[in-house]
Amino acid sequence: MDEIESLLNRPKAYYNIDGVGELAMGFMCLAYSLLGWLQANAPKGSIWHGMPAFMIYVGSMCLILHYGPKAIKKRITYPRTGFVEYPKRDTLWRPMILGAVVSAALSAGLMVGLRRHWNMTTPAALIGLLFAASYAYGIARIGMARWKWAVVCVVALGSVAIAVLPADVVGALAGHSSVRGAFLLTFMLYGAVLLVSGGISFWLYLRHTEAPAPEAQ
Amino acid sequence: MNPQIRTIADLDRVIHEPGRLMLMALLFAVDRSDFLYLQHETGMNKGTLSSHLSRLEEAGYVEVEKTYRGKVPQTLLGLTAAGRQAFEQYRRNLRGAL
Repeated sequence: MDEIESLLNRPKAYYNIDGVGELAMGFMCLAYSLLGWLQANAPKGSIWHGMPAFMIYVGSMCLILHYGPKAIKKRITYPRTGFVEYPKRDTLWRPMILGAVVSAALSAGLMVGLRRHWNMTTPAALIGLLFAASYAYGIARIGMARWKWAVVCVVALGSVAIAVLPADVVGALAGHSSVRGAFLLTFMLYGAVLLVSGGISFWLYLRHTEAPAPEAQ
Repeated sequence: MNPQIRTIADLDRVIHEPGRLMLMALLFAVDRSDFLYLQHETGMNKGTLSSHLSRLEEAGYVEVEKTYRGKVPQTLLGLTAAGRQAFEQYRRNLRGAL
């Protein structure tokens, strides 16, 4: 019975067999943190404080996120290891959105509950630990490679490290706001870790697979 | 007959064969996939895979669509409603038997 359950989970693991899912998430986190850093550090009156620049930036990012992974799948993954069309209910977006909403609500609650400590960086660490926990759940559930546990450890330890960094050091990143700086650092950490993890998966995928001869189809 | 033994006897023999069981489980979790994906995941050769898929198609559990990806022929496969129902029933029976 366990073997059947494991086979039923194979297509979910297949989605990230090439690391493209992580590359996309990593790109998104780094792009958001870059935008946050620009908004925090650009001089007053800079285009980065205006709505048009924001819309163009986010629009371009969404276009890359939408078409980039599709292009990689179409040109590299499908010719090598095959095409899969997933049922809508099985996408990972629902749990990811739910996780983000819960994390945001928890952080907001914590910040509002402790108004006198606006400079605290705990919310960022809390989100980091939640992210690490949800990533660990994903690894255990769909049976990803064992080395992915290192990603969980790096994110968890990194989040705790950000939380214990001196407020002025963290704040220097984002116009002397330690909370904003902590979130920027946290997103940079996610982005960098996911990009590295996705990059390694992609490299391993290219190394261990090759497109079959045309008649194999 | 002992009810548990009866449950084992009732297992769908088309699905119960290990190769076809793998294919049914893989296809159950997706809407459609191509021949190459099934070959990659099961490690079967083309002949064996084709033979199992033909058997499942005959039973009405799998539908096959021949199409093209660019200029390359592509075979898309998916479970029919009857195939999904049969696989769910098979899992229930197997759980009952175990």
